[in-house]
Amino acid sequence: MSAIEVRGLVKVYDHKVRALDGVSLDVEEGTVHALLGPNGAGKTTLIRVITTQLRPNEGSARVFGYDVVKNSSKVRELIGYVPQEVSLWSDLSGYENILIYSKIYGIPRELRSRKIEELLDFMELSEASRRLVRTYSGGMIRRLEIAIALMRSPKLLILDEPTIGLDPGARSLVWDKISEFRRENGVTVFFATHYMDEADKYADYVTLLNQGRVVAHGTPNDLKKHVKGNKVLVFFKESVDNSRLSEIVSGIPGVSISNLGNDHVELVVDDIPTKLPKILEEVFVKGYSVSEVEVREASLDEVFIKLTGRRITEESGRIKEVVSMRKMIRRGG
Amino acid sequence: MRSMKLASLASMAEMELRRLRHDPFEILTRAVQPILWIAVFGSVMARIRAFQNVGDYVTFITPGVILQSSTFISLAYGIALIFERESGILKKLLTSPIPRSYIVVGRALAGGIRASTQYVIVLVSAVAVGVRISGNPLNLITGYLILVLACMGFTGLSILIASLLRTRERFMGIIGAITMPLFFASNALYPIEVMPDVIKYISLANPLTYTVSALRKLLVSSSYDVLQETLILTCFTALSLGVAIKSLRRIIE
Repeated sequence: MSAIEVRGLVKVYDHKVRALDGVSLDVEEGTVHALLGPNGAGKTTLIRVITTQLRPNEGSARVFGYDVVKNSSKVRELIGYVPQEVSLWSDLSGYENILIYSKIYGIPRELRSRKIEELLDFMELSEASRRLVRTYSGGMIRRLEIAIALMRSPKLLILDEPTIGLDPGARSLVWDKISEFRRENGVTVFFATHYMDEADKYADYVTLLNQGRVVAHGTPNDLKKHVKGNKVLVFFKESVDNSRLSEIVSGIPGVSISNLGNDHVELVVDDIPTKLPKILEEVFVKGYSVSEVEVREASLDEVFIKLTGRRITEESGRIKEVVSMRKMIRRGG
Repeated sequence: MRSMKLASLASMAEMELRRLRHDPFEILTRAVQPILWIAVFGSVMARIRAFQNVGDYVTFITPGVILQSSTFISLAYGIALIFERESGILKKLLTSPIPRSYIVVGRALAGGIRASTQYVIVLVSAVAVGVRISGNPLNLITGYLILVLACMGFTGLSILIASLLRTRERFMGIIGAITMPLFFASNALYPIEVMPDVIKYISLANPLTYTVSALRKLLVSSSYDVLQETLILTCFTALSLGVAIKSLRRIIE
């Protein structure tokens, strides 16, 4: 069954901005699915439609079979959601935040304190739980928000830019916690990001979104094959016969020659870690001596550039995000 | 299920009280103005005896001053929703399983409770300058509940304004523009009988007038004849919450 099923979704703001322009996608139950695209691609709009905050102008979206417009309250019961912006009261402590949300969510009194304790402990926030959220780091805020979203044991966890503005250490801790929770509870995760490395590393499936349209979807490896992006260059000590060289890799599936020089060969490889040893073995068996091997791994960014002509991540954008994230925390969301 | 929902409603008020406990600054600074109304304005006006048939003037305006300060706090409460709109809190609440009406009613209750803290502050400072109010706990509690009811209505109005205007600047502008007229076009500082006809009619449509009138009866004249005021205020609050619930959707679009 699909956890999310989106068909021909169109969302127009103020009769002019087409934020979503006919989006269709499926998220399989039990998978981690990334929605990858640059700022302004429509990721947040799509998430807000799926989480029943916005009504689409055309098309439909279903969560575990329930329509987000007609059965919105049923949908809200099934999802845990962390918006991009900070969703905590910064003038309350971490414990008070999770306590208030647990009451708003109607967690029965007898389960409440055990559940809160477990989640705070799991997210490594027990010690900081009595401090005001205003004093938390960005990573702590995100972990607390995810803890709150997990409190109702949702079937589907929806995260909008979960690690935006966080430093690499905080980012990987957030993802470690999500992965750990998934191993134990098998929740489906749908997240939006513009960090391609994150989609690559943590997602089973990726949907690339640009200007309100899906430009591609598939596993990260499938997408990278699409651009023939993974390359291995093998340089030889002395020049070799071109015609003999082409035989080197003909026997290895998933490897093909993209360029031949008289002292090197450029190969397109679908999966570098498993194919590189085979390539080298073949080269040695045929009696060539290798001077240098160069590996160029494809990134989803390259896929995106090839498909749209734009980059996903722009560095200048990140600085702005960090600043606005900090402001948001200080202002007391 | 029903009790669970009621708990989620009460949790909004609890959140507000916890915030107040962490930072009571606003409540204390808000108390400065009413104390001045009582201690300076009231005592000076009392000496010129401008109004007949009102008894002791400072006593007369005490319920009005409670309302002046608590109405302002309720009407300003909507700004919290504008902040929560800019942060992710409102998005989070709107995607949680509780009905949207509970978000509005819960927040209105929270705003009403926050505003009603002025009840205690003003009454204590009034008694300190020699005002004689009813000491009967039943009167005091009934008065408090009527104040919370009215303040919920004003908070609902504030949530409505917040969801229509959506920016802090515009919101504060409007609140500033309506608070004082609401106060002056009521019986808070002077009896209705002395008003010019136009203002008299306006004040009769002003929910503040009925709240002041109910508090005056309960606290000053120890009368329980507040059924009419309570009914009118219940209608006002129900109406304002109803419209606020309808408009809440717009705040996040």
